[in-house]
Amino acid sequence: MAGIFVFSEEDAVARQLLTAGLELKAAMQLPLCVITTNAGEADTFIHLGAEKVFVLKAPKAWPEGLAKVVADLARSEQASVLLVGGTLRGKDIAAKVASLLKAGLVSDAQKVKFSNGVLETTRLLYAGLALCEDTVAIPAVVTVPPRTFTEPVPSADRQGAVQSVEAVPDTRVAISNVCPIESEGVDITAASKLVSVGRGFAHKEDLHLAEELAKAIGAEISCTRGVAEDYHWLPIERYIGISGQKVKPDLYLAAGISGQVQHVVGIRDSKFIVAVNSDERAPIFEAADYGIVGDMYEVLPLLTAALKH
Amino acid sequence: MPKILVCYKWVLDEQDIKINPADLSLDPSRAKGKISDFDRNAIEEATLLVEKLGGTVDALTYGTSTVKQSLKDVLSRGPNKVFWVADASAEKADAHVIANVLAAAIRKIGQYDLILCGEGSSDSYNQQIAPRLAALLDLPAITYVQEISASGNGFSATRKLTDCTEVATVQGPAVISVLGEINKPRIPSLKQVLAAAKKPSEEIKIADLGLTPEDLVPKVICISVKGFVMTRKNVVYKDGDAAAKVAKLADSLKKEGLC
Repeated sequence: MAGIFVFSEEDAVARQLLTAGLELKAAMQLPLCVITTNAGEADTFIHLGAEKVFVLKAPKAWPEGLAKVVADLARSEQASVLLVGGTLRGKDIAAKVASLLKAGLVSDAQKVKFSNGVLETTRLLYAGLALCEDTVAIPAVVTVPPRTFTEPVPSADRQGAVQSVEAVPDTRVAISNVCPIESEGVDITAASKLVSVGRGFAHKEDLHLAEELAKAIGAEISCTRGVAEDYHWLPIERYIGISGQKVKPDLYLAAGISGQVQHVVGIRDSKFIVAVNSDERAPIFEAADYGIVGDMYEVLPLLTAALKH
Repeated sequence: MPKILVCYKWVLDEQDIKINPADLSLDPSRAKGKISDFDRNAIEEATLLVEKLGGTVDALTYGTSTVKQSLKDVLSRGPNKVFWVADASAEKADAHVIANVLAAAIRKIGQYDLILCGEGSSDSYNQQIAPRLAALLDLPAITYVQEISASGNGFSATRKLTDCTEVATVQGPAVISVLGEINKPRIPSLKQVLAAAKKPSEEIKIADLGLTPEDLVPKVICISVKGFVMTRKNVVYKDGDAAAKVAKLADSLKKEGLC
């Protein structure tokens, strides 16, 4: 049977993808199916709209090692569309599956719809400088970033089938030393105000200037990729950009941030953007509502004093 | 001593692509070519590995005729030899086509112990090439890697995922994609630039790769590209002393109800 298939190694992402799957189902008149490794979640998927759930019987397998299993299943079930949760693991799996199926794959699609016999998708290009619309031939594989869709409304009345699939994972890669990345549990995407720091800060000790401003206005601290990944001054969960967090606070105050496109793509939904930078030509001013050209080390303490209640 | 192949893409420098305000089309006329950012990390990592372990590094690229501009650049960064496929098909190639061409070229050139790629390109950032190559060449893939070391007959690589790191180990050849944080690519010295001119480069004709016409037909076709334009107020205080500018900004923020 042809169908629309959803796969994610993360149950929450699979549930979100069912929303996109239900839209495609309405347009394509094809059944909606989920491929999962978690048998315990099968009923939930059915309540959310899946007609059939394929449970891969591969306990504790490394998800990336299941690509061939997913590809074989998609082929034998003649899947028209395979939506894969766009986690890093998911993107790895999706690319292998697409290759094995000789199918097109759109990475990180923000929108997916069916029209004129092909899928139409929207995604970012050049690190967010542009939006690109593509068509993808059927069968198509698409990865969708986590949290792009909200879960459908469940209904306990829905019925569906559950089928077990024997899965032989790829054992060529041995996994060891799995270490959780230390997390402070801060969710900067939920903050209404952010004071964000960039490479304009010369030393880690100088970050207190931003912290004091943040405290004065009730903001969280965020940063650029360089500050988190090159300098390691702040945890990666605080970094904003194409490969980091996307934020939409009421106020985003960028201190010592030049405003490269890879960063700005993560802040473009902010209500107000304010920039402090010594370089008048820094691209951040093009992205800002208000700005000060000046020495951040001089400006930030003054701004803290001026905005302190 | 490993024989390493590093794949790279020659892309436009996105920082110099302008958006035409009239129709939101992209204006690349001022943008120069560059080796895609994370591919530079892959080239550096290959070079660091052979400096430590011995062996050789070859580079491989596929693009339009502009890839010729990349040859000296890539050779100045460490590789001993570069193979290049220049063909008009690259203009509209999706990851399916690119991986087909690279995989066919690799089969033609010969066996490698390690194939390195950047995690994604600076232009389309599809993050597909390493896992696609692995699937086409029937090799294991290790993606999103921040550290690589030799291990037995193969390699150990530390992957960095969203919520954890993990060490992936393979025996025998593998395809690995690296993150930008794995190293800091060196800036080629004058000596390296001069030496690059003497290193070999070899063109591979796409017709000699044994690909079917279908292998070169993209499955993903771009139908529209529009620059993303933000409408912002762009009120910038640049005159006067710091205190005066801060007073103006504080005033503006209060009027917007932000502070």
